Amino acid sequence: MVQRPNTVAVGTIVWLGSEVMFFAGLFAIYFTLRSTNPGAWAEQAGVLNVPFAAVNTIILVISSFWCQFAVWAAERGQVKRTSWAPKDWGLTEWLFLTYAFGAVFVSGQVLEYATLVSEGITIDGNAYGSAFYLTTGFHALHVTGGLIAMLLMLGRVFAVKNFGHKEATSIIVVSYYWHFVDVVWIGLFFVIYVLK
Amino acid sequence: MRANTNLFWILTVFMVLAATAYTVWSLIWYDGQLEWVGTVAISLTAVLSAFLAFYLSRVHKAQGAELPEDRLDANIDDGDPEIGFYSPWSWWPIILAGGGALLMLGLAVGFWICFLAGALVLVAVVGWTYEYYRGYFAR
Repeated sequence: MVQRPNTVAVGTIVWLGSEVMFFAGLFAIYFTLRSTNPGAWAEQAGVLNVPFAAVNTIILVISSFWCQFAVWAAERGQVKRTSWAPKDWGLTEWLFLTYAFGAVFVSGQVLEYATLVSEGITIDGNAYGSAFYLTTGFHALHVTGGLIAMLLMLGRVFAVKNFGHKEATSIIVVSYYWHFVDVVWIGLFFVIYVLK
Repeated sequence: MRANTNLFWILTVFMVLAATAYTVWSLIWYDGQLEWVGTVAISLTAVLSAFLAFYLSRVHKAQGAELPEDRLDANIDDGDPEIGFYSPWSWWPIILAGGGALLMLGLAVGFWICFLAGALVLVAVVGWTYEYYRGYFAR
C-alpha cells in the first residue's frame, strides 16, 4: 500500500522554504548595513545583554522539544493526560507548555527592546538600530504568529468531537513552523549576539 | 518523486557553485570587500533547495513504494485516492483578504483604520479555522 504524501505537510514545507528566503533578505540587510556602517556596530553592538539573550534562546530551543512531544502525543491520538506524570501527558498539556515557553521568549524580547530603547538604540536612530529591530522584530512577529496558531489548534482540539487525522496534521504542520522559527532564531542569535 | 528530489539536489549544487563564484568574484571586483546581499541570498537559496530535496526524499522513503503517477504501468484510476479535505466553498478567505487589505490601507492613510482591520482579521482567522468545527457539519 502506497502511503501518499500529505498535501498539507508538503505545502507547509514549501511555504517554509519561501520563508527561508524572506529571512535571507533580512540577513542580507543586516550584513550590508554592517559592512557600510562599521562605526555604528563598534559603538552600539556592545550594549547588547548577551547572557540575557542566551537564556531567552535556550527557552525557545526547549519549547521546540515540548512541541515535538505534543506531535508525538498527536500521532498517538492522545489528546489529554492520563495522569500528571509527563510521560502520560497528552498533546493539550505539551502544547500549553510550548505556548508558555514561547510566550516567555516574546516577553523577554519585549523587555530587551525596552531596555535597549532606554539605552538609546532605536529603530530610526541609526543603521545598527534599524538592522537589529528589523531582523529580531520580524522574527518576534513570526513567534507571535506561531503562538496564535497554537491557541487556534488548542481550541480545535477542544472543539472537535473525534480527534482524527486532520487535527493531528494541523498540529504537525504548526510544529514544523515552530521548529523553523526556532532554527532561524539560532541563526539570528549567532549573527547578532555572538558575531556582533 | 525521485525526479523531483534530484531536480532540487541539482539546484542545490548549482546554487552552491553560484554562491562560491559570486563571493570570489565580488572579492576580486571590490578589492577584498564582500558583497553581502548576493552572497547571503544565493547561499540561502542553496539551503532552500537542499531543504526541499531532503524533505521530498524523506517523504519518498516513507511512502514505501512509487506513486501511481510515477509508474508507467499505472492506470488513471490508480491515482484516484482520497487526497484530503477541501472545503467546497467558503467566505472566510475573502473576508481575511479584505481584512489584510484594510490593514495595509490603515498603514498608508491613517493608523486608526488598523484597529478595525485587526478586529476583522481576528474574526476571519477564527472563522476560517473553526468553519468545520461548529454548526451542523461539525467534525
